[in-house]
Amino acid sequence: MRVPVPRPEDFRAPAHTPRVTARVGLWLGVAFGLCFATGLLSHFAQHPPGWFTWPTRPVSLYRITQGVHVLSGVAAIPLLLAKLWSVYPRLFVRPPRRPPSLVATHLAERLSVLVLLCAAFFELSTGLFNVAQSYPWRFFFVETHYAVAWIAAGALAVHVAVKLPVARDGFADRPDADRRAFLRTAWAASAVAVLATAGITVPWLRRVSALAWRTAGGPQGLPVNRTAAAAGVQVPADWRLEVVWPGARHAFTLDQLAALPQRTETLPIACVEGWSATARWTGVRIRDLLAATGAPTGRAIRVTSLERAGLYAASTLPAPHAADPLTLLALRVNGEVLDADHGFPCRIIAPSRPGVLQTKWVTRLEILP
Amino acid sequence: MRAVRLLLGVAGLAAAAYGAWLLRPQLPAAAAWLVAGPVLHDAVVAPLVGLTGLALGRLLPRAARGWVAAGLAVTGTLLLIAIPLVWRPHRAPPNPGLQDRDYVGSLAVWLAALWLGVLLAAIAARYRARRRG
Repeated sequence: MRVPVPRPEDFRAPAHTPRVTARVGLWLGVAFGLCFATGLLSHFAQHPPGWFTWPTRPVSLYRITQGVHVLSGVAAIPLLLAKLWSVYPRLFVRPPRRPPSLVATHLAERLSVLVLLCAAFFELSTGLFNVAQSYPWRFFFVETHYAVAWIAAGALAVHVAVKLPVARDGFADRPDADRRAFLRTAWAASAVAVLATAGITVPWLRRVSALAWRTAGGPQGLPVNRTAAAAGVQVPADWRLEVVWPGARHAFTLDQLAALPQRTETLPIACVEGWSATARWTGVRIRDLLAATGAPTGRAIRVTSLERAGLYAASTLPAPHAADPLTLLALRVNGEVLDADHGFPCRIIAPSRPGVLQTKWVTRLEILP
Repeated sequence: MRAVRLLLGVAGLAAAAYGAWLLRPQLPAAAAWLVAGPVLHDAVVAPLVGLTGLALGRLLPRAARGWVAAGLAVTGTLLLIAIPLVWRPHRAPPNPGLQDRDYVGSLAVWLAALWLGVLLAAIAARYRARRRG
């Protein structure tokens, strides 16, 4: 038996009309736009180009931008599927045979849509696996997710440029009851998807969200992104915190750090995976620590961990964050000595920073020139 | 509008070209993941949606169809999002406080609540349609 290849006019469901496509497309465009913008911000926060400074206020800034990044991606999943269902009949449009110019535009448009879809599906699926801390691939996630984001954004802009007249006509007509029902369903699926995951960063949804990857667990009430065991960290008996700059070197024992004036600040730790958790951190202000050693101020600081290997064994604290009164070298969290998995003997906690840069198991602070 | 379209098109081409240039070193490893989405969608997901729609049209009274379709759309969305969390191939070492929920159990509760709502809404819609009809 031969299955006949359908033609566009064989599809008669109410969703297959530009009136629906344009509306779902607009929501999808908003979701992708938010996702791309916040993704760029996160990339710049982690790999700042020379012209870029990530602000230290509000303290929850990264928590908000990265929460929006991940949740707008989640919201886009049902919207993308609804959008594609709306235009699925167009897949079966028979290409024109001539004239050559028409054939060429037809092929170019199809190719641009294919590129857009490859990129869109890639971003959503790899993002979702990444937040589940599951990596069934051989490419480098960060580089590839970033590169394909540019392709998706570019292909989307081309697509909007091509389809703008069709979309304008689509918006001019009011959809009938069946089509409005389809649009409501797409909206609802998107809203439920967000509700099912937003518990990663919205406290009152923590117990509600069935698919949140952050739970209420973890030592001292905080989730751990990399345990001391996974990082291969063992704190030596003669551990010291070194504070160094050209021409000077100071060393502190843990008791000496605990004898310095202690501050307690309530700050969120916000991860690239979109989850966040707020805690009360107690320790020495970085600013006070530098003053105690007579170190130069107003400079960026290179923070080194006991962790030997790994991308995040060291981080650079930008000058505004280093000078911020809220930035601590934390020794305690929520009233207890830091758990080994939270960075004992001490960790950096600064306002408005990606969690991977809140370096744990700190052993050395180098004041950069 | 012509100027806006031209500007969007040129900027879009430039952004995509930049992305492609950044992607080059990772392309061989990422190619399968890039192609898989559209292929799986066009060959598996969309036909399945179409066939389900046809079946709903034959099996259900008109008043109930919309509610059941909405229930299926939400269920499908939640199942898709659950795949990486439940399956987790090539996972990172265990992290306390992350990915340690009973996803299957809590999803079952959500889906049970969803389908109870769909059932009630469909019955109510059917009842209203009959009274009118």
